This record gives sequence, structure tokens and C-alpha cells, in this order.
Amino acid sequence: MIALLVARNTFREVVRDRVLLGIVVGGLLLLGVTRLASPLAMGEGLRLTVDLGLSSISWLGLLVVLTVGTALVSKEIDRRTIFNLLSRPLPRPLYLLGKWLGLTLALAAVSAILGTALWLMLAALGHAAYAGSISEAVFLANLELAVINSLAVMFSALSTPVLSALYTLGFFLGGQWCDDLRRFASHCPPGLRAMIEGAANVMPNLPLFNMRTLASGGELTTWTHLGLASAYAALYCACVLALASAAFESRDFK
Amino acid sequence: MSMTSNPSAPNALNADHQPLAAPASGRPAAGRPGVTSDSGPAVSIRGITKHYRHPWTQKVTRGLEPLSLDVHRGEVFGYLGPNGAGKTTTLKILTGLLKPTAGTATILGVPIERVSSRTRMGFLPEQPYFYDSLTGVEYLEFVARLSGMPGREATRAARAWLAKVGLGERERQALRKYSKGMLQRLGLAAAMVHEPELLILDEPMSGLDPFGRRDVRDLILEQRERGTTVLFSSHILPDVEALCDRVAILLEGRLERVATVGDLVDGTAPAVEVRVEGGRVFEIPPRLAPVVERADAGGSTGLRLREPERLQELLAWLLAERIAVRGVTPIRPSLEQLFMAAAEKSAFHAQDVRRPA
Amino acid sequence: MIVRAVPVASPVRDAIRRRMVVAWAAAVVLGFGACRLAAHAAATLPAPAPFEELAYYPSGRALEPATLGHAESMADLAWLRAVQYYGEHRITDLRFSQMRHVFEILTTLSPSFESPCIFGAFALAQEGNDFAAAEQLMLDALERRPRSGRLAFEMGFLYFVKPGGRDLRKAAEYFELASRLPGGPPSAARFAASARQNSGDLVMAHELWVQVRASSPNRYLREIAERELERIEKAIATGRQELAVHRMSRPVVVVR
Repeated sequence: MIALLVARNTFREVVRDRVLLGIVVGGLLLLGVTRLASPLAMGEGLRLTVDLGLSSISWLGLLVVLTVGTALVSKEIDRRTIFNLLSRPLPRPLYLLGKWLGLTLALAAVSAILGTALWLMLAALGHAAYAGSISEAVFLANLELAVINSLAVMFSALSTPVLSALYTLGFFLGGQWCDDLRRFASHCPPGLRAMIEGAANVMPNLPLFNMRTLASGGELTTWTHLGLASAYAALYCACVLALASAAFESRDFK
Repeated sequence: MSMTSNPSAPNALNADHQPLAAPASGRPAAGRPGVTSDSGPAVSIRGITKHYRHPWTQKVTRGLEPLSLDVHRGEVFGYLGPNGAGKTTTLKILTGLLKPTAGTATILGVPIERVSSRTRMGFLPEQPYFYDSLTGVEYLEFVARLSGMPGREATRAARAWLAKVGLGERERQALRKYSKGMLQRLGLAAAMVHEPELLILDEPMSGLDPFGRRDVRDLILEQRERGTTVLFSSHILPDVEALCDRVAILLEGRLERVATVGDLVDGTAPAVEVRVEGGRVFEIPPRLAPVVERADAGGSTGLRLREPERLQELLAWLLAERIAVRGVTPIRPSLEQLFMAAAEKSAFHAQDVRRPA
Repeated sequence: MIVRAVPVASPVRDAIRRRMVVAWAAAVVLGFGACRLAAHAAATLPAPAPFEELAYYPSGRALEPATLGHAESMADLAWLRAVQYYGEHRITDLRFSQMRHVFEILTTLSPSFESPCIFGAFALAQEGNDFAAAEQLMLDALERRPRSGRLAFEMGFLYFVKPGGRDLRKAAEYFELASRLPGGPPSAARFAASARQNSGDLVMAHELWVQVRASSPNRYLREIAERELERIEKAIATGRQELAVHRMSRPVVVVR
């Protein structure tokens, strides 16, 4: 499929970018630092490693999305490399899909490397049983990054990198607080409540992808949770990319 | 001279901007196969217009006036105009990068609004840019596959075309290390790697040294021999004159003229210049004075005869007056002169008018 | 024929080299000056109390949205701070005014993080002499994790070693609860029975502290256990049970 060609090229480009290498090295260093800090944790060193290890995967992934993802399309437009692609029999929606898929796969590769390093560290400490919970937490973190990445690609197709990063960050924050928004809405008068609840629904439901609390204790989540999170991520990403395609179709490239 | 005022000119249109029957051109396309106006045109443009509206002020800037044009299959078609005339706008509309405000167009019979219209087309944008981290082979293989070539064939074609444009030894080199000329050649290879039937080239000679320009000319000629239709815009008018079967001149977003190079040039008044020894005092006879202009320069005098058929008469008089003749040269206006004349006639100055490209 | 160029002095290169040397020298001198100034400031200006910025942390409920889904990691970092805070005050003034606040933040951010609750409660009770705060900390933790046998057991233990007078009734209640809940130690039922019988106070206390010393990964908690074991063993050896009992019964007054 033609979108896979674009995805493959995007993946190749992103992987060859030194930013990703720095991210991986930074993540590995952070894992090492958690071990160095473990004596200060008074017996909770394992928990420190698991929590900070999983958090670093999410935070570093978000950093990649905000720096690389938000410029994914706009950089091609500015540098006019997009001319060589869209003048071919490549539908614009498939172009956006390919860009999103390529970066999502690159993020998955980074998460896999860091997640594997985390598990190896735990296994060396005699806690290989954390494999399942680490895998699930990393999988859900990747779904979260895929959702944020879809927003980044959409904004990147319509705006400058700086504005795209701000909008994406705004949706990320709103997504983390969507439960609080709904709780706040319940105390508001009906008109305002409907608006706030609407806003909360538009925001990505990011708490759905958070199982760091369970992974902290080596616990697994349910298949229902995994299924719901996967389905939600697929639907949300498809919706955002469809919106992006609708706006991108009429865009002129001067 | 506007297109519609000269019904005998090629691509003349009627009042509804529909083409008249394609007349025979004054300069036949060298008897090459595939060059015929009987098969459907490679590119057919009907009333394509492009206006830009500012989102806040709603002010309209006119980029391209209703344009109608046919490019016949197998021909090399030159698209000329000063900066901001609308050449790149036209090419980008054909390649799907810009949406026309009005009008329709087809490429090889397929409407441009369909993605499939670009399957058999190759496009070289002006000053092309590429992905820094890719190598030449990777990039060509990528774009070949985007144009529908299967994987192995795309790799083979990528290597072949890279060698063809003189970059075969740099297969593994990242594109960030390419010079401007190398990038231009890579762009050409990218436009041709999938063996398209139509090539649209925006300033293909841009950034190339004379050797590079020669190579590009050879490539275009080779494509022409294959029967590929080539539509290109250029500022280098001698190249256009040498390569093109027909030429269109675009000014201020409006199509001024379409004709063969020969018709353009032949349609102007020819002249003959006779150089004689300088320093002689003589007076042109009254019967020849209206058609002879005299210009003294250095050690010789130039006599420009506007009616070449009276050359023998002038030479006979010079012989009778014992004025030594140094040389006789037919004067044929170049395309560049015609272009400049047309531009001045339309009172267009590129540095005074800002137009979207 | 290849002619190898003879290197000639280049005034341009020399000038650039001179400017680089000057820039480096300026950087070194200015950096040295800055370091000396910082050292002088640290020696002469009044030093802020260590870790007192903890007072400016908002409550756990207010902090939770700011963690952006990483409450567990923030709780871990707060735990590191709390341990440093405890260690600093333990060797200086034994004043743990921010202890309750920090552990409240911690346990709100991560209800499953049980060790800090337990440590915080015992530190508050045994060394901070604030049993009420210790009790409330454990009660809050139990409210968030009512099915935790470990928390219930430690709650029972807290009542059992309550300074100023053990509360055997409550201790027995919680030991019994711990014996029914997942995560409670196997000895919980036995401790409940002993508490109910209201006998073998020192023996049971000794057993509980031995368990803590043997199993707790927390160094400070092990030191508390070691200290109490010494008192109990001395009391048993000398027959002067009031030494250990007084420790458990007499309220300790601390001038804050």
C-alpha cells in the first residue's frame, strides 16, 4: 500500500535523525541513574526503577512528538520536499497516514528498546516476573503516543512547528485532565456543563492509557482494558487524521 | 499579438476559449514519430484560472487569467514568461500542488482532479529539495515506487538513472552532501525514473553549469526521441529555441502567444547587414535610403537593409562606387529579442509587480 | 610534478588564534571569579534550612493534576525527598514539622505506596512524638487501601507500641483484620490472640520488633527496632519490666 511506502521513508528519516539516538541514550542513562539512586530510596529502589523507567519512556516519547512530530509535515512544506511526493499518484490522506505511521513506528521502536532495557535491569535484580506488566505498560504508553502523534501530524499539516507544538501540548494537558474537567463540569450550571463536558470529550482520554500504577507493583491489567484502550486509540487517531485530510485536501503549495 | 487575433496561429482559440482545428505549423517537427495533433493532446487546459484571496482582507490577487492551451503528444513545448507571470502556477495546477479557481485540464486524457492523472507524468519542481538523510538510490527508489513501479524494478531503475545523470559513483552518499547541480540532476532523474509519458519540468537548467545544461538538453532530446511529451519552463531562451517545437509566452498571468519557434521568428521582418570599409564618405542613393540604415562603428560601417530582396541592388551600387564590402550577414531576430519585445509591449516590469509564483 | 606547498605564516590565522586564546583566558578567569564569589556567599550569607521548601508543596490532591499521569514517579521522588528530610532532622533537632505534610502528599499521589505510610507513621510516633498524626496517616492509608493486610497489620503494631500506653484492644482488632486480608503476615492471627489474652506483652512486643528488624528494608526502621529490642531484653534480663513498660506507657514530653 502506498501509505506504507511513505511510512517506511518517514521511519528511515526519523531513525537517522540524531535526536532519536539522543533520546535512547538519555533513556538508558536515566535507567542507570535510578539504580544509583536506589540506596536513597530505603528499600524502594525497585519501585523507583520501574516507575521512573516507565515515566521516562512516556516523557521522552512526548518530547519526540513535540520536536519531530509537530514539524513532520510543515518541514516538508517549508523545504518543498513535499512537491516531489504530492506530484505523484499519492492521495493526500494516504500521505498523512504514512507520515503518522512512520513516526508511530519509530516511537514504538524507541519504547521497545527502553522497555527491554528496563526489563533486563529488573531481571538482573531477580524480578523477571515484571515482564508482563512492563510489556502492557509500554504497549499502552505507545497507544498514548500514537494518539498524541496524530494530533501533532494534524497541526503540522496546517500550521507552523511552534504553533503545532503548542497546540499539541495543549491537547496533551487537556487529555491528562479530562477526568478533572468532567468532575468540574458536574458542579457547573447546565449550559456551561455541556460545554465543558464537550471539551472533555474532544480531548484525548489519556488516563485510559495509564497503567503505571499497576506496573509499579508488578500487576497486570485486564484484557478488557487493553481492548478498550486499543479500540479508542484507533478510533481517535482515525478521526483526527480524517480531519487533517479534510483540511489538507484544499491546501495550496505555492 | 494576442492568440485570438491570429486565427492561423497554432492553438488559436475561438471566443469561447475552445481551440480551433489545429493548423499545420510553419516548422514541422522534424518528421518524428508520435508528433501529431491528431491523437488526443498530452495536456489539455481549458479556462484554468487561479486567483488568491487574502483570508483577512478578502482582497483578490489575480495569479492566472483564464488559460486555454493544448500540448500535443510527443512534442517539446516551451513555457516562457518573466518572473511572476504564472508559469510555475500553471505547472503546479497540472501536478496537483495548486487548486485552480476555475477551469479544467486533463493530462493524457485523465482529469487533473484525479490522482491517477499523475501516474504517467514526471515533474521536476523549481530548485528541488530532497531528504538530507537519504542516499540517491534510496530516494529514486522511493519515488519510483510511489509512481507505481514494483520494488526490484524500482531499485534497478534507480541505479540506472543515477548513473545516467552522472551520479552513479555517489550511490551511497547522503543527499545533504550533494551540490546544487547534483541535486538538480537528481531531480531530473526522479522525474524520469518511472519512464513517464509526460515530463513537466520547471526551470530544468536552473543551477547548472554549461556542461550540466548540455547534459539536460541531451536528456530532453533523448526523451523526445522516445516519444515522451516534454513541457518545460525556462529563462534560458537559447535552449528553448534549440529544443522546443512550440513555445507559449505568458505575461501577467495571461497567455500572449503560442506558436512554433520558426513561426515566431519567421513572422518578424528579416534584414541583411552589409559591412563595408569604414572612413569612406558616401551618400546612400535616394531609391535605397528608405530601406537602409547606416551605422558607423570602429573601422567599418554597417548598412542594415530592411528588404533583403534588394540586396543585389545595394551590392551593385557599392561596387559601382568602389566601396569595399567586408561581409554580408542575414539578421534573424532571436527568440530572446521577440520575448523582450512582447514583454515591453505589454508594459510589464518584473521588478515592479509582485505576483504569487 | 607535485610541488608540496611550504607552510607560510598566515597573519589571519595568527590573529584568530590570538583571539581564541584571549577568549579562553577570559572564560577561565571569569569562571574562577564566579566560583569564588559563590563560595564566599555560601560562607557569609545565612543558609536556608534544609528541605524546608517542602512546606511550600501544595497538598497531594492539588499536586495530582500537575503530575500529568505520572503520580507514581512523583511519589517516588517525593519519597526520596522525605527520606532526606527525615535523615537531616534525625541527626539535628528531631523536629519533623513537615513530615505529616510530605507523607500526606506521598500517600495521596500513590495510595499503593505502603512503605512510606508505615515508615512515616512509626517515625512520627516513635521519634516525632506525634502519635495522633501517625494514627491519622495510617487511617488515611487504610481508607484508600482497605484490603491491604500489610497496612492493617502495621496499624495493629502501631497501637501495640503506642508511646504512653499501648492500646491492646485496637491492636487486636487490626491484627485480626490483617489475618483475614490478603498481604497480611501469617503471624497476624497469633498476635491477635495474644493481644486479646492481654498477656506476654514484652514477649509479643519482642517478637514484633524482631520481625521488623529481620524483614524491613528501611534502615531507619531497623534502627528503631534494634533500640526497642535492647530495652525489652534489658527489661526481661533485669526483671525490671518497667524499663520497657515505662517506655511504652509513659508519654515522652518533647520541647518543640
